[in-house]
Amino acid sequence: MNKFYHILKTLFLFGWSLFVVFPFLWALTTSFKDANAITSGATYIPWVDYEPSTQGWTSLFTTGSQGINIVGPFIDSAAVTLIASLVSLALGTLAAYGLSRFEYRLGFVKNADITFFFISQRIMPPIVLAIPFFLMLKELGALDTIFGLVLVYVALLLPIAVWVMTDFFAGIPKELDEMAMTDGCSPIGAFFRVILPNSVPGLVVAGMFCLIFGWNDFFFAFTLTFTETQLLPVSIVSLNSSVTPWWSLSAFALISVAPLACVAVIVERYMSRGTMSGAIR
Amino acid sequence: MTPTSTFGVNTMLSSKHFFLLPALLTLVAIILFPLLFTIRVSFSSWDVFQSGLDYIGGKNYGRVLADERFWQSLGRLSLLSLISVSLQYTLGFALALAVWKQVRGGRFLRVLFLIPMMTTPVVMSVIWRTVFHESLGPANDILGMFGIGAVPWLSSATGAFISVLIVEVWQWTPFMFLLLLAGLVSLPREPYLAAAIDGAGTWRTFWQVTFPLMAPITIGALIIRLIEASKIMDTVYVLTSGGPGTATETSSYYIYIRGLRDFQIGYSAALSLVYLVIMIVSLTVIAKLLLRLLVGKVG
Amino acid sequence: MKYRFTTSASVLAIIASSAVPVSAQDYTRFGIEQDLPGTCSYAATDAKDYSGRTLNIITHAIPVIGEPTALHAEQFAELTGAEVNVVHVPFGDLFQRIMIPFQSEQNAYDVMFYPSLWIGDFSRFLAPVPEAYVNSTGMMDVTPSFTGVATWNGEMIQYPMDGDRHYLKFRTDVFDNAEVQAQYLADTGNELTVPATWEEYNQVAAYFNASDWDGDGELNYGSAEVAKRDDLMFSAFISRAAPYAKHPDVQGGFFFDLETMEPLINTPGFVRGLELFIEAQASFPPGGTNFGLGDEIFSFGGGQTLMSYSWDDAYIQANQEDSRIRNMVAAAPLPGASEVWNRTTGAWDTFETPNRAPYMTWGWSSAVSSMSEEQEMGFDFLCFFSNEANAEHDMQIGRFGVNPYRNSHFDIDYWKGQGWADKTAQTYVTTLSEMEESQNRVFDLRVPGVSQFMSSMANGVAEAMAGQKTAQDALDDVAQEWAEIADRIGKDRLRDAYANVVTLEDNEG
Repeated sequence: MNKFYHILKTLFLFGWSLFVVFPFLWALTTSFKDANAITSGATYIPWVDYEPSTQGWTSLFTTGSQGINIVGPFIDSAAVTLIASLVSLALGTLAAYGLSRFEYRLGFVKNADITFFFISQRIMPPIVLAIPFFLMLKELGALDTIFGLVLVYVALLLPIAVWVMTDFFAGIPKELDEMAMTDGCSPIGAFFRVILPNSVPGLVVAGMFCLIFGWNDFFFAFTLTFTETQLLPVSIVSLNSSVTPWWSLSAFALISVAPLACVAVIVERYMSRGTMSGAIR
Repeated sequence: MTPTSTFGVNTMLSSKHFFLLPALLTLVAIILFPLLFTIRVSFSSWDVFQSGLDYIGGKNYGRVLADERFWQSLGRLSLLSLISVSLQYTLGFALALAVWKQVRGGRFLRVLFLIPMMTTPVVMSVIWRTVFHESLGPANDILGMFGIGAVPWLSSATGAFISVLIVEVWQWTPFMFLLLLAGLVSLPREPYLAAAIDGAGTWRTFWQVTFPLMAPITIGALIIRLIEASKIMDTVYVLTSGGPGTATETSSYYIYIRGLRDFQIGYSAALSLVYLVIMIVSLTVIAKLLLRLLVGKVG
Repeated sequence: MKYRFTTSASVLAIIASSAVPVSAQDYTRFGIEQDLPGTCSYAATDAKDYSGRTLNIITHAIPVIGEPTALHAEQFAELTGAEVNVVHVPFGDLFQRIMIPFQSEQNAYDVMFYPSLWIGDFSRFLAPVPEAYVNSTGMMDVTPSFTGVATWNGEMIQYPMDGDRHYLKFRTDVFDNAEVQAQYLADTGNELTVPATWEEYNQVAAYFNASDWDGDGELNYGSAEVAKRDDLMFSAFISRAAPYAKHPDVQGGFFFDLETMEPLINTPGFVRGLELFIEAQASFPPGGTNFGLGDEIFSFGGGQTLMSYSWDDAYIQANQEDSRIRNMVAAAPLPGASEVWNRTTGAWDTFETPNRAPYMTWGWSSAVSSMSEEQEMGFDFLCFFSNEANAEHDMQIGRFGVNPYRNSHFDIDYWKGQGWADKTAQTYVTTLSEMEESQNRVFDLRVPGVSQFMSSMANGVAEAMAGQKTAQDALDDVAQEWAEIADRIGKDRLRDAYANVVTLEDNEG
């Protein structure tokens, strides 16, 4: 019986791995093609099926009309994502801790409702808010600036941070807080000195989600910037014309995954150490 | 509930506000205007040839109620989200179980399985579009090697639906995988020892121990994933543009067409608010249902 | 994407002053063969000094129009010392990216490149082209069709830099092949000629579908058409329906009856065109019903299909130096119709010689925003972009999307000089110039809200193509929607705008 499950498991893992890796492999080989290699049907192996060219890769780093330079957008994306994630994480963690430890009441609105309010911000599709945000940033003179984007992203990422950390804190026994306070800490002190250091796994997960959703946002960056600030997903879409250069897009896809793939490695380390226990209740 | 302490009530109160207020105020400050604006503009006829906030009463809402295309898009969205999230959950759970205990190359697999979630949907959808390209892409090419004819991935209604499903499952199963694996890793040992003593097999152990213990996480993960899935936009935008015809036109895509393609700002605001209300109601219902279903079991 | 091009004007001045007189300067380093004389030639632009000033441009994604914009922006910056920023946007989002700043009075871009059919929506935000540029050497040579397209209520508010039309393209290695001709005659009893009606087109496409007639081991197909709803399918439909719905003797509107502003989209002519479109699907390559313009270009230009019709891109692509079907293509006017619907008599009229209704499709156009604080520099840039040397250079590169629009471009020697075969060049020039002369032309619905009308039409056509509705039902629903849209826009406002189009079609412009 066990043998059967074992084989099944191996096949399953192998099959899924293949599925995961397939688009990346395809992107890799496509990034070395040019127009002729595409028009005659699907080709796979360079030199055997088609003549490779480095056009796809070089176009990503050339400025001017020959290519799209992704260095600038890369930096802009990194700046906006990191700042917005940090702010969201900070504010969200505080709020989550508050919601899990104290009782709030605003009329008939209670803790659960407040948490729900935070999370429900994620329901609105970006399209809906695009124009209002545009007008709002315009009044603030923040269109096409990093500040403007950070403002909008904080509103998007805060709910995520709150959600993850609320679940996480619920899993930390209140005895910990109490011990800290009987030792003479104020509640705020208890939080910073005792709880926070023990919350690293939760922070890692929350941070990761913030980074992912921030880095990969397309819509707001697209609507709210013109020429000064360009984020990565928007700059790639500038290649989405009637004659799509598959090769540049493939090269781009591979490069844009790289930073977050590193994050994946870090997160996995926490998972395997089993310290994610209680990261999600 | 409030921590006992030797501090006075005032300190407690100010601490309590210190924690919640910054986040709450920030969020409200940023989204208050957009929300109010959307509500206001939904009562106007702001359109491409006429910008500005006139007042036309509830006309837009009347149009929404009669808008067949909108309601159809909701139906499609529900179908797509429910199937997609269920698949993600099942596969994610299976994967988490598979790599939970020691397994060869476990570390590598765990990182690998996380990667799709890290990719930018807009970008990966372009790659997938080239994969599903019916004449020049590898999907049909490889199937052809097995003797299967060209599958209309993007030019038939069912094909397009499935293509979108495939991309969504590829992209978001890692999300479930991560949450469920984290949950598994933190499960207590005792119930398993008890089950082992009872002589329970793998299957029974799963259903009677693992699954019930994972109920809270299941609910949280499903709800969050449903919220995110319902907003699906980038994939549809790049892969099928809502097509063929309206086969993969989800609500957010339809709102996008009305709002930013047709530039009917007033009408799309009304559509968005109706959508918002429907989503909040359905998600609350689903959440309550899941709670009763799953937590009831643990009881 | 943003580019920054700044050069010190003083450096340029030093170089210029120590160099040969301006007219003899060598500008070949910019990629052109030689600088041609003109109001905005390289030499003339070089003499201008915009150092310290910034120009913001929004254009289509790379490469179609996006690449030449970036290229000429670079050159302009180097020649004048200006700082030029270029933003690239995919087609589907170009409208909103231009419109939102317009409507909220945000001065985001000085110069815009966009599809010329949006003139109805943008007209009130554009700066009229100053006299000096209207009288420039380049502008004076633009054909009447394209100056007409750039004009609104008697004023020129768009700057022509591209000329477009739909026409038929086909493979000469099949049509001119004696063996194939004989076989075709034997099999069908008809001569293999260039299709003169859409019925013939469908027949020929069907005959040659799913067989390997170019002997490369891969199947070939009959017709590559832009059939993807959210791509440019609406233009493909207009091409197919025009000859059945545009009666040479009936004036006063093609999409709408100008007087009553009643939609004509569900009249029998359009329905017949749609039915033929639906029938043609059987001869598409796999996935053909989802072909966007790019797919069509790759399909015909890459040698997969026998015929196609749409903009010039596929033709130029087919004749690129490294193309495997170079000089194996020829051009012809769009197929016509032997029966045309006459809406005044309410009956079909038969035409011995098939009725042709050349479709002067929208193409790329440019304009300067009336909110811009750099209007003169903006117009200088556009004039430079389209100067004689640059236009000739850009037309040779298929992916640039710049196609003939001046009388001097319809010169067969120019194309033969590019290495084109006689027939390839001759048919190209003849087809294009004949379209200029036709009196029965069709233009796009260049009114405010055009995207709503076209999107509704495309939706209806797509539903019929997918078999969800019959052609008549689908178009009836479209007519219904059009009436609603017209009401929302306001019939009078719509009529005023549509009158501009009818003037062109009734040859009064």
